[in-house]
Amino acid sequence: MKKAIIIRYCEIHLKGKNRGFFEKLLRENIKKSLKGLDFTFTAMHSRYLVEDFNDCDLQIIKEKLSKIAGIHTYSEALVVNNDLNEITNAVLSLCDNKSGTFKVETNRADKTFSPNSMETSMLLGGRLLEVYPSKLKVDVKKPSFTVYVDIREDGKSFIYTDVIHTLSGMPVGSAGKGLLLISGGIDSPVAGYMTCKRGMKIDCLHFHSYPYTGQAAKEKVVELTRRVGEYNGGINLYVVSFTKIQEEIHKKCPEEYMITMMRRFMIRIAERLALKLEDQAIITGESLGQVASQTIESITSSNSVVTMPVLRPLIMFDKNDIIDISRKIDTYETSILPYEDCCTVFLPEFPAIKPNLEKVIKAESVLDIEGLIEEAMSNIEVIKL
Amino acid sequence: MIYLDNAATTCPSKNALSFADKYNYEKFFNPSALYLGGIEAAKDINVTRDVILNSLGVFSKDYEVVFTSCGSESDNTAVFCAKKRGVFLTDKGEHSAIYKSYLELKQRGLSTVFIDLNKDGSVNQEKLFDYIKNNKVDFVSIVHVNNETGAVNDINFIAQKIKEIDRSIVFHSDGVQAYGKIPFVLSPYVDMYSVSAHKINGLKGTGALIKKKSLKISPLIYGGGQENGLRSGTENVFGIKVFEYVIKEHFENIKANYSKVSEMNNYVRENVDKEIFHVISSENASPYVLSISAKNLRGEVIMHSLEEYGIIVGNGSACSSKNRFSRVIEACGYKKEILDGVIRLSFSHDTELNDVMFATQCLNVVAKKLKGIMG
Repeated sequence: MKKAIIIRYCEIHLKGKNRGFFEKLLRENIKKSLKGLDFTFTAMHSRYLVEDFNDCDLQIIKEKLSKIAGIHTYSEALVVNNDLNEITNAVLSLCDNKSGTFKVETNRADKTFSPNSMETSMLLGGRLLEVYPSKLKVDVKKPSFTVYVDIREDGKSFIYTDVIHTLSGMPVGSAGKGLLLISGGIDSPVAGYMTCKRGMKIDCLHFHSYPYTGQAAKEKVVELTRRVGEYNGGINLYVVSFTKIQEEIHKKCPEEYMITMMRRFMIRIAERLALKLEDQAIITGESLGQVASQTIESITSSNSVVTMPVLRPLIMFDKNDIIDISRKIDTYETSILPYEDCCTVFLPEFPAIKPNLEKVIKAESVLDIEGLIEEAMSNIEVIKL
Repeated sequence: MIYLDNAATTCPSKNALSFADKYNYEKFFNPSALYLGGIEAAKDINVTRDVILNSLGVFSKDYEVVFTSCGSESDNTAVFCAKKRGVFLTDKGEHSAIYKSYLELKQRGLSTVFIDLNKDGSVNQEKLFDYIKNNKVDFVSIVHVNNETGAVNDINFIAQKIKEIDRSIVFHSDGVQAYGKIPFVLSPYVDMYSVSAHKINGLKGTGALIKKKSLKISPLIYGGGQENGLRSGTENVFGIKVFEYVIKEHFENIKANYSKVSEMNNYVRENVDKEIFHVISSENASPYVLSISAKNLRGEVIMHSLEEYGIIVGNGSACSSKNRFSRVIEACGYKKEILDGVIRLSFSHDTELNDVMFATQCLNVVAKKLKGIMG
């Protein structure tokens, strides 16, 4: 029996006249994600159909679909002709390894098909009870599974039991482009994932401090970015050397402002790069009060150096909730690998928790800010993932 | 590239690879097979057993060789398979293969004892013998050469002393960093000894446990009953034959290599900037391993900086580089300022003195520069 995957989307329904734009984007994203595999793709009313794939690719396709924002649910269905015998056989084979209570729900778009929906459900239910008398029981109110029979106008019927919920959200690319600051910690990959989920396509920016951080630390960030990229339809990682800036701050500025100033430089460089890449926002994994650099005073201080919006998807999230998401998207285990992060080497013992903006600006004035940024911007490594 | 991390692994010997090449082609047979090819393969790896026993100066009537997949497997076999209950004693300077095995013993409800170290990383013998005199102990494992500081434990002497106190104690030593490097003959007081091929230009995936025939142990891996039933799994014939070749290479020149490496070791000791570096390894440590610390700097940062000059060094033990401080150096009694800055230089007989001189110079330059920025 032929197999197909039925893909459903949801929030796009809410869209009015520009619904076509969202649908087109989602279609493109799905096709792009499945590129390289054999399949046919059909757009139906509010649903898409992936068919004619190799059975051995089924798992890969399901895995890929589960990472495409904008898809609400999908089902793996058997496809047969609109013929009661064929439908019955499909239902029986699908329920072969099932047990418990069930109901049959028939949807008959092909009105020429007889018997009608109600009767079809009853017939199929009766047949199931005949064949599997000991393990199946009918319960129309709270069944443990439902057999869906979808009899379509084009002469094909879909039979399936499971509706798998996926990411939901909006198609990537529907909400513009942004630049994610990615560190190698737990939070930033989660922030990136959430941004993709709401439809914003992202680039990633990482600050590397060779020799204070090594190749292993960078590889870790590459791996995290690659995983976030699976939700983004591929991703570009931009690596900027932060060594000189850190050394200059360390040499010339009060120790307690080290992190405050590093953040200000990072955001400034992010804005420059974002403008170059035509990104419309900066995204960070900041969470209010999580560490000294994420108090409202610190955020004020780093926010004040740019005009571009800085999006902070995790700002009001508890750490545990962030960790839960990072486990879900499988970045947690990589994030907790303990390679030295660019922040830890120069970490002062007592960082300023509530930096005073005026004092920060004054302390910073001894540095050649423009020169340092220029130098950092002139040597950016691009890793396409 | 100047490679000074030979205690982590060494470059496989090309001669050894071509010597053993035929075991991947015309002599690929399974040594357990009963046709001629298999029987010959079995004979051929028996030759390696004799080479190993001979290199340690013991007879095949007293000792046998159990081939394993690595030094860690040999260590695990020793710890878990000789005694099923009782008190297990070791020191705080062991490689993780012993240390973590002991933690596992503890987890399983057995008694474990960890004896303190001297400042150089060797076991404190006074405390060791004291403990054994005053308490019942069943199994002892003491590393031959400490893989982080190079400190050499006189395991023959220790084993003899221990057996004089209680001859029922089983004594094992992890010889991975000593074998083929330190001139040494195994005394009859040592019951088991672990070695590994890739530390002496053999291949990763080949190790051995040398054990007394009279000592009964159970296997760690069950199956087809290879290695006298002590270690199932088809033997890694190619790796074993490579091992044989490099053992011969190393033992023929063991004394010459030792003095050559000592010269390099001494050069670094004498020429590193004493304002910045503290030498952790003692003068009578194995010359193959030299542990130093850049006070108040980070070992990893120095390691990366040296990489830019094409110099590769280790920071602490490669197996445990995921933990910030070295457990072993900490057990030597050092504080944070030293612990943060530990780097390990480890040499091989084919390291060139010129390269070591250049590396020492770079070490001084890099550390001085970093001190200017971080210190």
